[in-house]
Amino acid sequence: MKVEFIPVLLVLIPIITGVFIYITHHYRFNMLIFLAQGLVSGLSFRYYMYFNKFKNELYLNLGNWSEKISIVLKNDYLSMAFIFLTIIIWWMVIIYSWKERKKDSKFYFFLLFLEGVFFGLLQTNDLFNLFVFIEITTIISTILILYNMTGESVRAGLYYLLFNSVGVMFFLLGMAFIYYSEGTLNINILTERINICQGLNLTNISYISIMAAVGVKSAFFPVYNWLPKAHSAAPSVISALLSGLLVKSGIYVFIRINMMYGLETFREFFIILGLFTAISGGIFAVSQKDIKQILAFSTVSQIGIIIIGLNQVDGNITGGIIHIFSHAFFKSLLFLSAGIIINNYKEKDTNLIRGMFHELPLVSIGVIIGFLSISGMPFFSGYISKSIIKYGLKYDFLVYMMYLIDVLTITYFMKILQIFKEPRDLKIKYKLKVKLNSEIPIFILGLISIGLGIFYQPIWELLLKTSVNKIDFFVFEEWMIYFSKLIIAYSTYKLIVEKDYNLIKKIRKTNISFPNTNYLFIIFITTMLIWKL
Amino acid sequence: MNPILSFIIIIIGLYGMVTSENIIKSIICFSIIETALILLFLNLGNVGLGDIPIIVEGITNMVDPLPQALMITTIVIGASTTALAFMISIKIFHYYGTLEWDELLEREG
Repeated sequence: MKVEFIPVLLVLIPIITGVFIYITHHYRFNMLIFLAQGLVSGLSFRYYMYFNKFKNELYLNLGNWSEKISIVLKNDYLSMAFIFLTIIIWWMVIIYSWKERKKDSKFYFFLLFLEGVFFGLLQTNDLFNLFVFIEITTIISTILILYNMTGESVRAGLYYLLFNSVGVMFFLLGMAFIYYSEGTLNINILTERINICQGLNLTNISYISIMAAVGVKSAFFPVYNWLPKAHSAAPSVISALLSGLLVKSGIYVFIRINMMYGLETFREFFIILGLFTAISGGIFAVSQKDIKQILAFSTVSQIGIIIIGLNQVDGNITGGIIHIFSHAFFKSLLFLSAGIIINNYKEKDTNLIRGMFHELPLVSIGVIIGFLSISGMPFFSGYISKSIIKYGLKYDFLVYMMYLIDVLTITYFMKILQIFKEPRDLKIKYKLKVKLNSEIPIFILGLISIGLGIFYQPIWELLLKTSVNKIDFFVFEEWMIYFSKLIIAYSTYKLIVEKDYNLIKKIRKTNISFPNTNYLFIIFITTMLIWKL
Repeated sequence: MNPILSFIIIIIGLYGMVTSENIIKSIICFSIIETALILLFLNLGNVGLGDIPIIVEGITNMVDPLPQALMITTIVIGASTTALAFMISIKIFHYYGTLEWDELLEREG
């Protein structure tokens, strides 16, 4: 077997294994997923060694047709880094869910199929295949969201499916424009051919309509209300997968499309949009009570930070990319911990869960590591990415806004942290049993979050081949800022949030129906058109 | 056939997405948008009046075959999305006894 064909195998091995498991439908064959997963990890590592010799980019042309019309798979440092991320998250999800769903071949069929499709999405080099992979991802993740078939999850699943499909249709529209004006869909050829002109022409309109689709897929400001519904209604394992990785599929496409067009006029627009996303997501998260709702809105808020990081004025997107990775690790850590908590206490309301630290010590440490990472404490992964983003910002105003976002983050985490309080009634004894296999992923993800915070320089220079500035951990000012953020957040929590005023109740109950969401989507597109004019 | 026709159909579909209060109607509007896009793409391939894209003697002026190949895939994806959406709406009717978006929101609990 030749090394060059590994990208195809990465797509095919999980899909074929999944189909085999589903057809035989015998639980003994479910062990095969570990084989497939091991094979995929080994092959990707082998490919990375091979890839490192060429230093730049590698192409695989399937069928040797001319490049204009054939299916081409492309790998560069970004996609390789994402492939490793995918493999790690999938290992965690499989280990976590193994005891519970050992005999459930259907679940693992969908899980493995999704993995194969996701590898395809990362590696493809033409727009149409990108569209196909995005759509299959949407369909399969819908099935996984409503896998338990409860009322809430079914409703969230339909909402997710319809809204995302309508959004992705605009990707097809943009593709039609670009095919008409350039005559090809290959991303590399398009990168060379597209020259941006001022005013409204076909290229700009195609950019706008593709960006509208990407905005829906990766939950930008006015069109994100499918995300909290879907991510809180899904089973906890799937929420970890969705928040950790699948939201990033939209952002990955965002990076690729921006590389392709090289358009600079929209940078300020996306920074403003990112601010709105981060702040509004944070405010909604502060108002929630349900632990999974808080985490889901927190994902929205972090996506806002990622968007700001990806649209720096100097064109340096390293901070945004690093934040994608650190967010993937700590958010899946938090969702998996939330899964264990909900399974044990049979309760989602943060006001009712008490005495976590005595009952589940290891999970509590996981939650604390997640909290320290997301709030940007030095020595943890969130600090690195947020500092890089902060250094790249041009205006002081934006830096203060980043502080505001951090304060909001800590405030809604105070709500989650109150589960460590002692129960009022000490007589209540919970009979808690945590299986070892669900604690392993929490342990590993926690270690990665700390590791990325300390050894960030060698890791990112190896994976992304860009130099990362050294960030000093022992600056007195930074520690002061961090602790003052903690104090402000704690007092806001005590004075405002804990009182649960009517305004907060109103924000919590805010709910936008499906037709109105489509209204917001149309407004989103129109705003981009006006910005271009 | 004119591309403007497909834009009109897209706008009709979007209008339906914004105004319809019923789940089934929303799914139908999604299908309308998708069909319009397929029509648009097929129009793009047909530059001038060409023949079918099969290489035999006597045919010199062919239409572009690529959009047709792409649109077959799009049709399949659209069909599966629609089927899944209908399946879920059956389940929703079982759980909530309604297919109106408004009433679904009210029963959020």
